[in-house]
Amino acid sequence: MGVIDKVQVPQPMKFILNWGRRYSLWIMNFGLACCAIEFIAASTSKHDFIRVGVIPFAHGPRQADLLLVAGTVTDKMSPALKRVYDQMPEPKYVISFGSCSNCGGPYWDSYSVTKGVDQFMPVDVYVPGCPPRPEALLHGIIRLQEKIAQEDIREKWSGQLSTPPAGR
Amino acid sequence: MASSRRPLPVADVGAALKAQFGDAVSDVADVGGHAVVTVSPDRYRELVTVLRDDPEFDCDYLDFLSATDYPPAGELEIALHVYSIAHNHHVRVKVRIPRDSPSLPSIHDLYPGANWHERETWELFGVVFEGHPHLVKLVLPEPFEGHPLRKDFELMSRVAKPWPGVPEGEEVEEE
Repeated sequence: MGVIDKVQVPQPMKFILNWGRRYSLWIMNFGLACCAIEFIAASTSKHDFIRVGVIPFAHGPRQADLLLVAGTVTDKMSPALKRVYDQMPEPKYVISFGSCSNCGGPYWDSYSVTKGVDQFMPVDVYVPGCPPRPEALLHGIIRLQEKIAQEDIREKWSGQLSTPPAGR
Repeated sequence: MASSRRPLPVADVGAALKAQFGDAVSDVADVGGHAVVTVSPDRYRELVTVLRDDPEFDCDYLDFLSATDYPPAGELEIALHVYSIAHNHHVRVKVRIPRDSPSLPSIHDLYPGANWHERETWELFGVVFEGHPHLVKLVLPEPFEGHPLRKDFELMSRVAKPWPGVPEGEEVEEE
């Protein structure tokens, strides 16, 4: 990304760049189950996540900054989800929304459900609930924005973070 | 069309099939107004053909085909549900087959809709449908091994962590 990944950016510059990035998150929705309905509720006028700086919706994974996995991911679906994630350009973030994508949820002993999307891709924020309320998603987004504000751009844009993704 | 609409009573379905198939039809039951016919595996295809082609039955719509596992009896029960759009009646055909070598003739040529149902029943229960043109996995991922809807299928999560509840059928009723 030119100069930014070669030199250490001064703190004021870093602050401004991160401030711009955290309030301009083009979102890619990967809705698979009832959680997707809560996600839609969060995007509409009452909860309205545009006011916290999430832009619905990226036209495809290649224009997206944030991937939101909402719903039950099955072993059959997970290659498609991985492909969407791989197509997104760095820097990219993932929110796992709901119990199913966090850990399998009520399908913890199923033969077909993936027990957590973090098995095959890094997750930045986990939103618990079955399904979580739209407020929970807004909270998760704000936690993600706090994380972005602390980031070292050089590390993130190179795709090699020295610190592992934050836990739940 | 409406004047020729004539749902067959369950007793008539039973009588007509018993007359034609004799002992091969072992049981006819009335479940919620639907005729449930149990037939032996060797005459299953013949019976389905009659249900489809006989103008009295005229079952032109396949609703579903699936199976149930009964390990104590050592049997799988195939359930085929057909419906007559013209007459507005339902017929369910049940076939009991041994679970260690389950096989049944395919009916994909009688009802094209049976194609995917048979594939699904094959992958989930291991029932081989003879004469099926494309018996490959439909809903399971390709590397999957085993037939997950059989009762003895090992769930890996439950091996690691036992089921916290009471097994189905053994619940103690609270007073």
